[in-house]
Amino acid sequence: MSRRVALALAVLAVSLVSPRAPAAPPAEVVIGAVYPLSGNLAKVGNDIKDAIELAAELVNDDVDVPVPLGKGKGLPNLGGARLRVVFADHQSSPEKGLSEAERLISQEKVIALMGSYNSNVTATASQAAERLKTPFLNADSTSPLLTARGFRWFFRTTPTDDEFSENFFKFLGEMKKRGKAIKNAALFYENTLFGTDVSKFEKKYAQQYGYPVVADIAYDAKSTNLNAEIQRLKAASPDVLLQASYTNDAILSTKTMKELDFRPQAILAMDAGHVSSEYVPSLGKDAEGVVSREVWALGLGAKKPIVRQVNDLFRKKTQAGRGQPIDMDGTSARAFVGLLVLADAINRAGSTEAEKIRGALESTDLPGESLIMPWRGVKFDPKTHQNTLGSGILVQIQDGKYVVVYPFDLAAAEVRWPLPAWGK
Amino acid sequence: MKVAIAAAAVLAVLLFPLVFRGPYPQHLMILVLLNALLGTAWNILGGFAGQISLGQATFFGAGAYTSTLLFQHAGVSPWLGLLAGAAVAVLLALAIGYPCFRLSGHYFAIATIAIGEIAGIAVTNWEFAGGAVGLFLPVEGEGLAAFKFGDKLGYYYVIAALLAFSVALAAWLRRGRPGYYWRAIREDQAAARSVGVPATRYKQLAIAISAALTAMAGTFYAQYLLFIDPPSVLPLSLSIQICLVAVLGGAGTLVGPLLGAAVLVPLSAATSVALGGSGRSLDLVVYGLLIMLIAAFEPAGLVGIARRLRRRGSP
Amino acid sequence: MIAQALVSGLLIGFVFALIAAGLTLIFGVMEIVNFAHGEFLMLSMYLSYFLHAGLGWDPIAALPVNAVALFALGVVVYYALIRRVLRAPMLAQVFATFGLGVFLQNAAQFLWRPDFRTLGDTWVSGRLSLAGVYFSGPQLAAAAGAVLTTAGLWWLLSRTEIGRALLATAEDRQAASLMGINPDRMFALAWGLGAACVGVAGALLSTFYYVFPQVGGVFALIAFVAVALGGFGSVVGAFAGGVLIGVVESLAGVFVAPAVKNLFVFAIYLVVVLLRPRGLVGKQ
Repeated sequence: MSRRVALALAVLAVSLVSPRAPAAPPAEVVIGAVYPLSGNLAKVGNDIKDAIELAAELVNDDVDVPVPLGKGKGLPNLGGARLRVVFADHQSSPEKGLSEAERLISQEKVIALMGSYNSNVTATASQAAERLKTPFLNADSTSPLLTARGFRWFFRTTPTDDEFSENFFKFLGEMKKRGKAIKNAALFYENTLFGTDVSKFEKKYAQQYGYPVVADIAYDAKSTNLNAEIQRLKAASPDVLLQASYTNDAILSTKTMKELDFRPQAILAMDAGHVSSEYVPSLGKDAEGVVSREVWALGLGAKKPIVRQVNDLFRKKTQAGRGQPIDMDGTSARAFVGLLVLADAINRAGSTEAEKIRGALESTDLPGESLIMPWRGVKFDPKTHQNTLGSGILVQIQDGKYVVVYPFDLAAAEVRWPLPAWGK
Repeated sequence: MKVAIAAAAVLAVLLFPLVFRGPYPQHLMILVLLNALLGTAWNILGGFAGQISLGQATFFGAGAYTSTLLFQHAGVSPWLGLLAGAAVAVLLALAIGYPCFRLSGHYFAIATIAIGEIAGIAVTNWEFAGGAVGLFLPVEGEGLAAFKFGDKLGYYYVIAALLAFSVALAAWLRRGRPGYYWRAIREDQAAARSVGVPATRYKQLAIAISAALTAMAGTFYAQYLLFIDPPSVLPLSLSIQICLVAVLGGAGTLVGPLLGAAVLVPLSAATSVALGGSGRSLDLVVYGLLIMLIAAFEPAGLVGIARRLRRRGSP
Repeated sequence: MIAQALVSGLLIGFVFALIAAGLTLIFGVMEIVNFAHGEFLMLSMYLSYFLHAGLGWDPIAALPVNAVALFALGVVVYYALIRRVLRAPMLAQVFATFGLGVFLQNAAQFLWRPDFRTLGDTWVSGRLSLAGVYFSGPQLAAAAGAVLTTAGLWWLLSRTEIGRALLATAEDRQAASLMGINPDRMFALAWGLGAACVGVAGALLSTFYYVFPQVGGVFALIAFVAVALGGFGSVVGAFAGGVLIGVVESLAGVFVAPAVKNLFVFAIYLVVVLLRPRGLVGKQ
C-alpha cells in the first residue's frame, strides 16, 4: 500500500473514531408570541408583552431573583443562548391569529409559540402550531375546549373556567357555614366565548351545589347601556350575582347598578374586567366589596416575597416603556410564568428541536415556590397537557385594593359580607 | 395583448405555490384568492347591478355554518355542504331581496347592514349553531374527499378553481342579457323599467348569484380555518372589507376585484407586520388613509388609475 | 318596571336622537352619509376628557368648546375631503367617510392608547329617584342637553335666514344657487353644524360613558338606523327615530331578553322602511 493511501486511511480511521466536535450552540433562541396588540384588547396585549419581555430579560441576564433560569446568563444547557421573543398582533381575529402563527413559524423561524389570550384566536393559532409541529404554550385562555382537542403540541399552564366556577360555589358553601343566608344566584355575562363558557360551568355547579338560578342574562358587551339588563336582575332579586364581564362593561354595569339601586349580597366576578387596572380607579368607592376569582394577586407577596420582587421589576419596566409604573395583574403574571415554563423546557431539552422541546414540556415539573403564582407547581396532564397543579383564589376589593380572601388559609384579610349599600 | 396578460396572470397563480413553498406566502395567496372571490361576488350585485350591499357577511356565514352543521350533525360531506350552503344563501338572498329591493340607494345599504347585524346577533344566541362559542371542525382526516388538506396546496387549488368559476360566470353573465339589463338598472332603474326591463327579477338574480358564490367562499373558509364563530364569519367589518376589495380595484369591471384583492391583502398584511406589532395601530391608520385617497382621487379604483395611465401613455 | 324601562330608554334615546340629528342634517343637505360620525363623537369625548383631566374643566361647562371645536372639524373635513367626492358615485362617498372613520379611530388609538378613561366627579354625578323610578344624574343632564340642542338646531333651520338657506340648498341645489345662495358654503355649514351636534353629544356622554378609541362605532350604528328610521334629511324624524330606538331597546331588553335587544332595533328598522320606504317622516 502506498504511503499516501495509508495516511489517508489513518486519517479516516481517526476521524471516525474520535468524537465529533459538537455543533456550536445557537447564539440565540427565538420564541414567537401572538397577542392582541391593537384594537379593543390592546392594553391587555401590551401588558402581556411587557411581562413576557421581562421574563426573557431575567433569563438572559444574571439576576438575583429566584425565578427559574434567573441565575446565569441565557439558557445554560444551550451554551448561554439568549432568548429573543418576536411579537405579532392578531387584532382579536382568529384568521389573523392563524396567519401570524404560521408566519412566525415559517418566516421568523421561531421554535415555539406563546399565545393568544382570546380563546377563539388561541384555537386557530394553536391549530397552525399543531399542523406545523411546533410547541404552543397557552398561559391565559381559559376555555376548557382548548385542551379537549387532543393536540400533541398544545400546552396550557392556566387553570380553566371549570375550576374557577366550582371555586365560587365552594366559597359560597363556606360562607353559608359561617351563617350567611344564601339561597339563590343570578348569572350575568357577556355573550361572547368568554362569558358563555363561564356561564355553562356556573349553571352546572349551581345545580350541583343546590342554588336555584333566578336570572340568567347574557348581554352584548358592546351595548351603549345596560339599563334593561340591570333592571331585570333587580326584579329577580338574587342573593348573589355571578358576573363575567370585560373592562368596559364591568365598569358600566357597576355604574348602572348604582343608578338603579341594585345591590345583591355579593358580586362574584370572573376576573377580566373586574380585576383590570381601570376598574377601581374609574369607580372609586363604588367598586368596594366586589369579589373576583383571580389567578394571582399582589397581596400574595405577603407570603411569597418573590411576587413583590418581580412586581417591582415590572413597575420599573413599564415606567421606562410607558411613562407610568403599572402593577402586574393575573394576566401579566401568567404570561410571565408562561415564558419561564417554556424557557425551562427548552433548557431541559438542551436543543432547539421541536420534538425534544415537546418531550421536555411533557416532563415539566416546576415547584410552586419558584413561581409567582399561587399554584402548587406546573405539571402537565399526559393526555390533555393541562396544568394539573394550578388553582385559583378569590380576592375582594377592600379600601381600593385587591385582597386575597379565599382560600382562607392564603387569605390576607376577612371577607366583608354583604356588599355595603350604595352611598351617594 | 390583454389575452397575453391574462394568460400570464393565470399561469402565475397556478405556479405560485410551487415556487413559493412556505406556508405563509401560500396562506397570503389563499387569502388573496378568497377575497377576490368575495369581491367578484359582491361586484355582480354592486358593480354590475348597482345595488350596494354592506351585508355580504350574512351569506358568507350562511355558507360556513350550513356546511359545518351538516357535517357535524349528519356527517354530510363538505362538498355537498358547499352546495347546500349556496342553496341556503340563495333562499336567504331572495327572501331579503323581495322586500328590500323596493328601497333605494342608502336605504338599501343600511338595510343590508341591519340584516347583517341581525344575523350576527341571532347566531350568537343560537345554541344549536354553537352560539358565541363557535364551531370546531376536527383536525384529522385529510384528503380531497374530506375537503381538508394537510398542507396548503390542496386548499390553494380549490380556492383558485372556485375563483376561476366565479370570474367565468361573471364574465358570461356580463356579456349576456343579465349584464345588459343590470347596466340599465344601475344607470337609471325607472328608465329601464319604462322600456320593459324586469328590474326586480334581475335584481333578484344578481343577489342570488352573489349570495351563492359568497356562501361557497364561506364553506371554504370553514374548512380552511377549522373554526368558525360569529365574529369571524358574520361581522360588519367583513362586509365592509368585501366591498372595499371590489371598489379599490374597480367596481363594475371583471378584473377590479382581482386587482383589489391582490393589493389589499398583502398591503394589510405588510402594514400589520411592519407597524402593527408595536401595538399602536399605525397599520390601520395607513389603511384608513388609503381608503380615503382612493375614494377622493380615483373612485374607479385601480382599474381607473390604470386606464388613466394608459391614456396618458398613448400619443 | 315599565316606568323604569321607559325612563331609561327615553334618557338614552334623547342622546341617540342628538347624534342622529347631526347625521341627518349632513345627508339632508348633500345626500352624503357620514360614516365617520361615530369618530367625531369619539373625538369630542376625548376633548372633554382632556379638558377635564388637564384643566379641571367640567364637561358640561366646557360644552361650548366641544361644539366650536367639532364645528371647525366638520368644516375642515368638508373642504379637505368631501368636496372632492361631491360628484363621485355613491360608493366613493361611502368610502371617503368610511376611510376617514378608520383613520380617526386608529389615530386616536395610536396617540392616546386603547385604555378606557372615565371622567371622575362631574357636576352632574349622582342620581334622583321619583316614585320608585331612578334617574341617573348624568343621563338626565345628557337628555336635557340633547333635547335643548336639537330644539336649537330645529329653530336654527326653520326660523333663521341661514337655516332656511340650508334647507333651500337641501331641497334644490341649483335653484338655491340661482337665488344667490352659495351651495359650497352651505355644505360646509351643514358639516359644521352636524359635527357640532355630535360634539355636544360627546361632551354630554363623557359624563357617564367611558372614553376609548372604538366608542364611536357603537353609537354610530344606532344613529344610522335612527336616521333611516326617521327619514334621511329630517331632523324631527331623526329625533323621533333616536328616541324610538332608545325606548324599544330598553323595553326589549327588560321584557324579552337583553342579549337580543339590538336585534329588535334592527328589526324595527326593517319593518318601518319596508312599510314606509322613506322613513317615518322622510323627505325626498
